[in-house]
Order: sequence, then structure tokens, then C-alpha cells
Amino acid sequence: MRHAGFTWHDGALLAQGLGVSLGLFVGTFLIGLVLGSAAAVVRHFRVPALGALLHTALELLRNSPVLVQLFLVFFGVPALIHQPLTPVFAAGLTLSANTAAFVYFIAVAGLDAVGREQVEAARAFGLSRAQLVRHILGPQAAAFAVAPLVGLAVNQLQVTSLVSVIGVIDLTKAGDILNLRTLRPFAVWAIVGALYFAAAKTLTLLGNRWERRLRAHAPPLGL
Amino acid sequence: MIAVEGVVKRFGAHTVLDGVSLTVAPGEVVTILGSSGSGKSTLIRCVNGLETLDGGRISVDGLDVADPRQLAQARRLSATVFQLFNLYPHMTVLRNLTLAPELVLKRPKAEVEGQARALLASVGLAGKANSYPGQLSGGQRQRVGICRALAMNPRYLLLDEVTSALDPEMTAEVLAILGRLATQGTTMLFVTHEVEFARRISTRIVFLDQGRLIVDLPTDQFFAVDGGLAHPRIHQFLSKMAPSSTAPAAPVAEMPA
Repeated sequence: MRHAGFTWHDGALLAQGLGVSLGLFVGTFLIGLVLGSAAAVVRHFRVPALGALLHTALELLRNSPVLVQLFLVFFGVPALIHQPLTPVFAAGLTLSANTAAFVYFIAVAGLDAVGREQVEAARAFGLSRAQLVRHILGPQAAAFAVAPLVGLAVNQLQVTSLVSVIGVIDLTKAGDILNLRTLRPFAVWAIVGALYFAAAKTLTLLGNRWERRLRAHAPPLGL
Repeated sequence: MIAVEGVVKRFGAHTVLDGVSLTVAPGEVVTILGSSGSGKSTLIRCVNGLETLDGGRISVDGLDVADPRQLAQARRLSATVFQLFNLYPHMTVLRNLTLAPELVLKRPKAEVEGQARALLASVGLAGKANSYPGQLSGGQRQRVGICRALAMNPRYLLLDEVTSALDPEMTAEVLAILGRLATQGTTMLFVTHEVEFARRISTRIVFLDQGRLIVDLPTDQFFAVDGGLAHPRIHQFLSKMAPSSTAPAAPVAEMPA
């Protein structure tokens, strides 16, 4: 017998799906943020070989569809190493690397935007490279990068919906399951869409607050 | 002592410094004069290690600036004041002063802050400790730049055209402070276009022309008719730089349009 009506259990399923989506997003975004920024610092100091290698790898990741990367990791890598990957692991790996690629290009631009003359002052005063990154380059590059990073975050949150196709029970997959049972696609996808919207909107609001704080004393953008 | 020996610096095919030698002993104020493009600023940038040398040697108290480890040590002995101030815009005035003494010299925060506040008070900026560079005038920013250098307790103060970006009033503010430092016995390597001021405070004046050091004389001899002025290039430079000291300048109304 089919239960076509909505039940309280459906709310729990959606909440669980939303939790998986948010968890996957937060985890992969933080990893991507760290890896992408680190790669940008390597590039900024023109570390030979490593800088060029990272640039090429991240360029490949940025310029190919996430879905293709997901299939490559979930189906391609197990064929190569004769070891299956769990959907969540494959999704986490792919999204982290993909986020790192976009963060890298944003961070490179942010670092380049910091005035050369203050960097020279800091060097002349004897600051080490690590101190330069921590106290001069980092805070100012972050202020330049925060607006594009918030945009990236909103996008990457929505990109997590792709992991439903390899079997991760995220919000989209939960919607899919619900839709198949209730056969009320308009109601189901409207609810799923509204949940994504609420999450993305919250993210934007938090991001804008963070931006105002970081840019409080930064030089104005543009001309 | 800062010792510059036969320094050569090229940017591509252009030779900016062509075998320059000079010394700055403790207590001296050595002024580098020369027209724009003569290599004055580049020489300062070679001393503080912002440019690499293509020839010759620079040492600060025996530390070779071409060696990264010795350069790190040498940078604790000298401090630079820049033409365009080069303050850190995201930090308060106070933090601009305390950053390097805390991070590089590893001095205790409380002591550095006390010194920084005293320095700011001595240049009339006691009330600006918590302002940001963007909230200050050019003259105020350069006074902060000088305090930032002094907070390092440097043996040598390197001054790179520190008044070139300022209007006459602000220039006067900054020069007054430098004059006071000179009378207190601060050792300075001073690149400037303020000839009259240089004449007042310098122990020696060197003249750079197209990357070559053509004269290195005690100040009074530099301005003597049979000293530096006997050199045609210097005579030409001084007559254009400080018209009041040689020939009266034409009033603006009489200048050809």
C-alpha cells in the first residue's frame, strides 16, 4: 500500500537532507578555503615548479564541470585503484578540490591587490615572509576577496545538490525520494528550493556582515 | 658604519648605479643630491635590501646585505622612511609603529607601545594613535612614517625623498622633525631635493649624476666656489634647484607662457 500523503516523517527526511547538504558544504568549503589560499600564497612567492604545478591542476578543476569531476572521482578512481569509494567521501573530495580551485583564483587576485609599497616597507623593516602573510598580505587580501568569496560560497552550496546523483542522501536526494512517493513534484521541489534559498540567503547575510567588518579600514575598491 | 663599495645596479639594459662607493659613519648626516633618475632612491633601496646588486658590495656594520641571513640582521640596524609613506592602511597609527619592533626585535608589547606613544607625542600626533593612515594628512602620515622608523631604535635612518610628496607647509613640519633628529646626533642617509635644508643639517654631501658618484665632500666644501660648485654639473644643478642662492628667479608674470 502506498502512502501518498505528506507525513511528519517527511519533515525529518528533509531536515536530515538539509543537514547533509550543509555539512558537506561547510566541510568542503573550509577545506577548499585553506587549500586554495595556501596555493595562492605559494604562487605569490613564486615558488618554482610547485607554483606552476598547482596553477595547472587548479586551472583544470576550475574549467571543467563539477558533475564530470564527480563521476571521474566516484567511478573513475575506484576503477584505477580497485577499491570502491563511498559516495560521501567521493563527494567531499571532489567538492573540496573544486572549491580550492575557485578560491585559488580569488585569493591570487586579492594578494595582488595589496599595495606593493607597504609590502616593501614591511620587508625593509625585517618582517619574515610568514609574518608578511599573517599581518600585511593576509588581512588586506581577505578584505579584497571577501565579496567574491561570499558569491562563491552561495554557488558552492547549490553545487552540493549534484552529489545526489552518486547516491548521497542530501537535500536534493531527499526531495527526489519524497517526490517519487508522493508524486507531488510542484510541492516537493518548491519546498526543497525554499530550503536552499533560506540557507543561501543566511549565508549572504553573514558574509555581508563579515565583509563590513573586514573592510572597515581597507582602501576603497576600484577607482 | 654603512659601507657602499663599487655598487652596480642595472634595470635591464639601463645602468642605474655605476660603481658607487660611499660610507656613512655613526653620527654623520650624509645627503645624496642629484636630479631625478640619477639613482639616489635606488641606492637607498640597495642599502635596505629591496633591490639586489649587480656588482659591488654593501655592508651595514659589517653585515653583507647580499646574504639573506646577514640582511635580516642588517635590517634591524637601519630603518627606512619612504617617499610615499608606505604605511599599513589596515592598521592603526599605533600598530604601524609597534608591528616591527614586536615581531622583528621581539621587544615586549607594553614597552614598545609606551615608546610609540612618546614618539607620536614628540611629533604632535599624540591624539592620532588610534586613527588609521587614511584619516591623516600627508604631513601627518609622513610624521607617522618617521616615528615608525624611530620605533626600531635604528642606528641608521634611511630617508628616501621623504618630503617630495608633500606641499610646502607639510614639508616644513617634516623637516623640522628631521632637523631636531640631526641635532640629536641621529645617523642619517638622506636622499632629498631640499638643498637648503641639506646644507643646514648635513655633515657630508654626495652628488650622483647618471648613476655615478661625482663628488663626496664635507658640506661647507660642497657649497664652496672652489669645491663642489667648481664642478659644472653641480653648478648647473644647484642654480636650477635653489635659484634664490645664486640668481634671482624671474617673477611668474615675466615667465614666457
